[in-house]
Amino acid sequence: MTTAASDSATTPEPGAAEVPRPSVTLQVLLSNEFGLAALIAVAVVIFATSLPGFTSPFSLFTLSRQIGIDTMIGLAMMAVIVTGGLDLSVGAIGACAAMFFGFGLEQLGLPLPVAIVFALLLGAGLGAINGITVVRSGVHSFIITLASMSIFFGVMIYLTQAKGFNGLPPGVAAFGRMKLVGPVSVLLVTTLAVCAGLLVLYRFTALGRQMLSAGANARAAELSGIEVGRTLIFCHALTGALAALAGLMLTARTGAAVPSMAGHLGQDWLLPAFLAPVLGGTLLTGGRVSVIGTLLGATFVTVITSGLLLMRVSEFWVQAFLGLMLLAAVLIDKARHTLLRRRGMI
Amino acid sequence: MRQSLAIRLLDNDWAGPGLISLMAIAVISILQPAFLSPFNILVLLSAIAVNMVVALGQLVIIGVGQMNLALGALGGLVAICFVGAIEVLGVPAPLAIVLGLLIGIVAGMANGVIIARTGISAFIITLASLQIFKGINLGITKAQPFYGVPDSVKQFGNTAVFGSIPWLILPAVLGAFCLWYLFRHLRIGRYILALGGNRQAAELSGIDTTGTVIWAHALSGLFAAAAGMMLVARLQIGQPTIGDDWLISSFAAPVIGGASLSGGHVSVAGTFFGVVIIAIITQALVLFSIDPFVVQIVLGGLILWAVGINRFREWRLSKLAIQGA
Repeated sequence: MTTAASDSATTPEPGAAEVPRPSVTLQVLLSNEFGLAALIAVAVVIFATSLPGFTSPFSLFTLSRQIGIDTMIGLAMMAVIVTGGLDLSVGAIGACAAMFFGFGLEQLGLPLPVAIVFALLLGAGLGAINGITVVRSGVHSFIITLASMSIFFGVMIYLTQAKGFNGLPPGVAAFGRMKLVGPVSVLLVTTLAVCAGLLVLYRFTALGRQMLSAGANARAAELSGIEVGRTLIFCHALTGALAALAGLMLTARTGAAVPSMAGHLGQDWLLPAFLAPVLGGTLLTGGRVSVIGTLLGATFVTVITSGLLLMRVSEFWVQAFLGLMLLAAVLIDKARHTLLRRRGMI
Repeated sequence: MRQSLAIRLLDNDWAGPGLISLMAIAVISILQPAFLSPFNILVLLSAIAVNMVVALGQLVIIGVGQMNLALGALGGLVAICFVGAIEVLGVPAPLAIVLGLLIGIVAGMANGVIIARTGISAFIITLASLQIFKGINLGITKAQPFYGVPDSVKQFGNTAVFGSIPWLILPAVLGAFCLWYLFRHLRIGRYILALGGNRQAAELSGIDTTGTVIWAHALSGLFAAAAGMMLVARLQIGQPTIGDDWLISSFAAPVIGGASLSGGHVSVAGTFFGVVIIAIITQALVLFSIDPFVVQIVLGGLILWAVGINRFREWRLSKLAIQGA
């Protein structure tokens, strides 16, 4: 990278066409995903050698469980960042779905699979409400979802009177404790399956490609025959469903559905929701996603967080550190883009 | 060039919210006479004063076409630094106030510098700084409040100048007037609105966009700091949770007051009535012993309603303008 920097100083604003396209290997090496994977590897090696408890089966299990949940929260936000918009209500939707799940199991006596499906449908429905309001009103999703986060959370807390559901069937908590393949939590496996599904969606299906092109340039997408409004609503509904799934995973981890699981108004999810996709190279302006990047972003954050906690850094300072990390991530990304653009590589 | 009454009323940001405030006050005081008792008015005005300063902090940033998620976190950080400086370091209260305001300005400026220099969206930068401010706040306090608020500060937050007018109104009126004057008569105010209205045009006309964004964020930080310390005075305690619930209301009041979220168009008077409406509704829910959890639903609904009204007004205005031409 240092030689690249000095080269660029001698090249006065090259036209992108004159510079030969970089080789595939170089593109991989310069990608966000590779950078993140390298950082994760470095962090894991450092922590594993210096912190004795880091590689214990229990630590690996909680690590994998946390990666699973944080990635899911990140994926939920990623699905709407595609449109160039955002969804502040992911935490509220997650909490709503989890509480509805608890209500269905405890009060209505629904079988587990039915309750899961209903909760996911509720999440998708709430997301769709966001999407429809954004599309119909033409108002930016920030203000619409700011309002809806307050409404969703308010309705949920009013209906439940801020009381949780603690008497869930034992299967729920057992799922949260379940391990597959050594110490790997089944929650991470669930997330990996969803990642695979999303990869297929964005790479190989018409709907996924429509989402990407509608996000990259709505007018061009409209002209090429895509129903942009409907596509945006689908994106918001997908966000809602993924947020609901994250809420259910969190419920499985704690073994109870509690209204405060995502903090006041669900605000506690905002940082993990943006941190993972942004670290992973999802563009906030829309049109580009990285599912693997989001997974790696969440992994990196979780590894660093648990490493710091094992080093007995207070969790409050870890919180401040995560904010710094988000700041560093966007600044580095900006610098990388400037550098690559100057070199004519993108 | 005679403008029709309809256009003039529609063009006025504060007329609608002002009318609604008056009607709400009338209806509630008929249903519940205790609403207009001197004590209740004092409580209401104290809440309005603090929320007004919070809303002004967001209004500046809305004017420049951005958003500040870190407003509450900064207010909380300043609040605990203010009490912490007095209790732990023994700083006299007036000096601690200056220190608090300085922290607000500097932290706001830091936001502004990063946003303006990198061009990264204000949303993501202030989300990061929210986390940093909140983390520092909790790291210092370990989530425990500071209790060493001096009596003078406590009195300022809980006594009246005369009748039902609380001292807290003073900084709110001062802040509102200064911001109104700034938008109306000062160059920096016009720059902020020009930049929020049309970035390209502002750049082409030679406005220092970087400096303007930094100034706007510094002002926002100043208001956040003032509001945080006002809340300390009112609560009589340095709560680390101060500012946690500012996010929704800080946007709701300016939007109800007719501010355009794409920037360039704000109204201090409209924001005032936005704050009044929110305060009245919140209080009415308590007076009629309605579930306090409903407040969240109502606040969210108010934002949607105001956004809808603003869109409708834009549409009507453009139609009337065409007819009038």
